[in-house]
Amino acid sequence: MGLVQREIEADGFSTISLSMIPELTASVGVPRIAAIEHPFGLTLGLPGDSVRQLEVLRATLRALEEISQPGTVVNLPFEWKSGDKLNMYPPEPPPIARYLRRHPWHFPKFLRRAPPEIRNV
Amino acid sequence: MDKTVDSYRFLEGVPRRVMKQWASLGAPREIPWTPLAKPLSQCAVSLLSSAGVALITDQPFDQGIERRDPWFSDPSYRVLPRTASTGSARVYHLHINPSFAEQDLNCVMPIERLNELEALGEIGRSASSHYSYMGYTVRPEALLQHSVPGIIRRLREDQVDVVILVPV
Repeated sequence: MGLVQREIEADGFSTISLSMIPELTASVGVPRIAAIEHPFGLTLGLPGDSVRQLEVLRATLRALEEISQPGTVVNLPFEWKSGDKLNMYPPEPPPIARYLRRHPWHFPKFLRRAPPEIRNV
Repeated sequence: MDKTVDSYRFLEGVPRRVMKQWASLGAPREIPWTPLAKPLSQCAVSLLSSAGVALITDQPFDQGIERRDPWFSDPSYRVLPRTASTGSARVYHLHINPSFAEQDLNCVMPIERLNELEALGEIGRSASSHYSYMGYTVRPEALLQHSVPGIIRRLREDQVDVVILVPV
């Protein structure tokens, strides 16, 4: 997502990422990040929680307004109640998880984000 | 005390290790910068979600691409109108539980919330269109070379000022 943000900002739009893994997003060099400690798939909040969703969106826009230095991360103050037991997982494991179980020698390549050469199809 | 977001609170095991490692790969480089040119109350705002969201009436993202080549995902993008509402879209990202956003699109793509901020006068307007692509890929070249320029062309035609990127 960070690479996409860089392209859009460079083309003349003011951008901000609402990131749950701000360290990862920041690592590629993006102009603005609003960091949020929410579970995956729930960036803005739970289904039906329009109050939280609106507050998060509003706080993100406020961060965009406030940030004046490229590369700034604003930590949004929202707390996630850990009591909510949520299933954050997809219905089936992601294809890469199954692939790496069968091809464990490719795991170091995955850690380096260095995929194998593309085969001719 | 001010909060500091823990990037890894909801990650454990191998995914936690992978995300920490990936976060360490970036090298310092120049950061692009477009200053906000006017108050938000005069800005057109568009949303970009990496959840792989498509209207039920639109062409689905091709999940088979990633199932055949797990280093890569469908690099195309979809357009969602500002009138898109909960229940009108499906979520194709293969690394998250899609059910939350399929119950309520605003969990990952707060189109209805943005319309509310427009009604309150806090932003100039919600853009005519919002966008989504499949967020997972270790080979982003096709996304960056083909889809992102298409999204940027549409943003410009729509005279958008601000883009909020929403990972999942």
